[in-house]
Amino acid sequence: MRGTRRRDACLSVVVFFLGLSVAGAAPFELPPLNSPASSEHHAGKMVWADLVTPDLASAERFYGGLLGWTFQTIHSGKSDYAIAVIDGRPVGGLLQKSIPPGEHRQSAWLTFIAVRDIDTAKGVAVAHGAKVVSDTKNYPSRGRQAVLSDPEGAIFAMLDSSSGDAPDYLAGPGEWIWSSLLSKDPDSEAAFYQTVFSYDVFDLASDDGRQHVILSSDDFARASANSLPDDAKTRHPHWLNFIRVDNAAESAAKAAALGGRVLVEPHVDRHGGQVAVVADPSGAPFGLMEWTANDSKTEAK
Amino acid sequence: MNAVLRSLAAGGLAALALGMLYACAVTGVGVEGSVGVGYDAGYYEPSGYEYGGWGGGYRVGPGRGGDRRDEHPGGSHTFRSAPASRPTPSIPGRPRGH
Repeated sequence: MRGTRRRDACLSVVVFFLGLSVAGAAPFELPPLNSPASSEHHAGKMVWADLVTPDLASAERFYGGLLGWTFQTIHSGKSDYAIAVIDGRPVGGLLQKSIPPGEHRQSAWLTFIAVRDIDTAKGVAVAHGAKVVSDTKNYPSRGRQAVLSDPEGAIFAMLDSSSGDAPDYLAGPGEWIWSSLLSKDPDSEAAFYQTVFSYDVFDLASDDGRQHVILSSDDFARASANSLPDDAKTRHPHWLNFIRVDNAAESAAKAAALGGRVLVEPHVDRHGGQVAVVADPSGAPFGLMEWTANDSKTEAK
Repeated sequence: MNAVLRSLAAGGLAALALGMLYACAVTGVGVEGSVGVGYDAGYYEPSGYEYGGWGGGYRVGPGRGGDRRDEHPGGSHTFRSAPASRPTPSIPGRPRGH
């Protein structure tokens, strides 16, 4: 009888701690975007990107070999997440996430756009046709973030950073330098993003018969919205982010050698430098962009 | 047997209640939105679509500032076009640390 009671008591203790671990699991700690914190805020600026991949180790080898990124891996519960770092600065995150058997999914980079008040921004976005993909989560050191799909279905995230937004410097090699939205109707999409992020919108003269507009805040170009290229039936609206490199052609060749693919051959873009679009080994597309220091203005007005 | 089950249930429920109380107290759930316990921001795109593949004449990058505007700025757009007097901006050019 006494043995039975002792066994029951032990079981209760075990179950107590199991329950405690389930209910009170520690929050997933993400480092701040800026350390030391910045007092600046730049709504509409692309401030972060997360890759979702089924093979984190392969992605680390690829991006480390191509861009010189190093990684700080965070293990928490079922999440394996690596912070990519260059010159001591975090530039993005790589999330391991398995694809359920039988499902076909495309690995991708998720674009994070800065907001000052995520509840207001999310509300405005939803009121103008966006859908919430992942509702607001609070990661105390990073900030509050939510993932949405815009009216055409392009996925993006908004982030109210706890450590402010980085000052507006020219991106260094290995850092994100540009973001492009490719959409069926850039006109309507630009209006949507203007409503949510208060962008100034500049419609560019087009040489290719398609629409290209610049989304601007703080008198800096933040992103472009563009008509999808040909074969629209085989394409869907999406954000595409570009990383600054010293030589786009060499980097594209290196990406292929590391197991990636070249999706758009290196060519001269609007600023006079070369760009290319590649995919990593799991298929996630991103751009490579050359940019010499004298290609951009030095001061905001 | 019933005693064992009762012990298990009591222990589990007590732990769940305490854990949830702790989580709410620490994180302020309901005030700031749910706290990320795991990380679920990663979003897979649907498969079967084509990326890239466009030719050299298709340009999505920024200009160097002052790029030529559409000849009819402000006309027949869904968005509010910036005034024609404003030059098209470029990306930040100030080197880090300056």
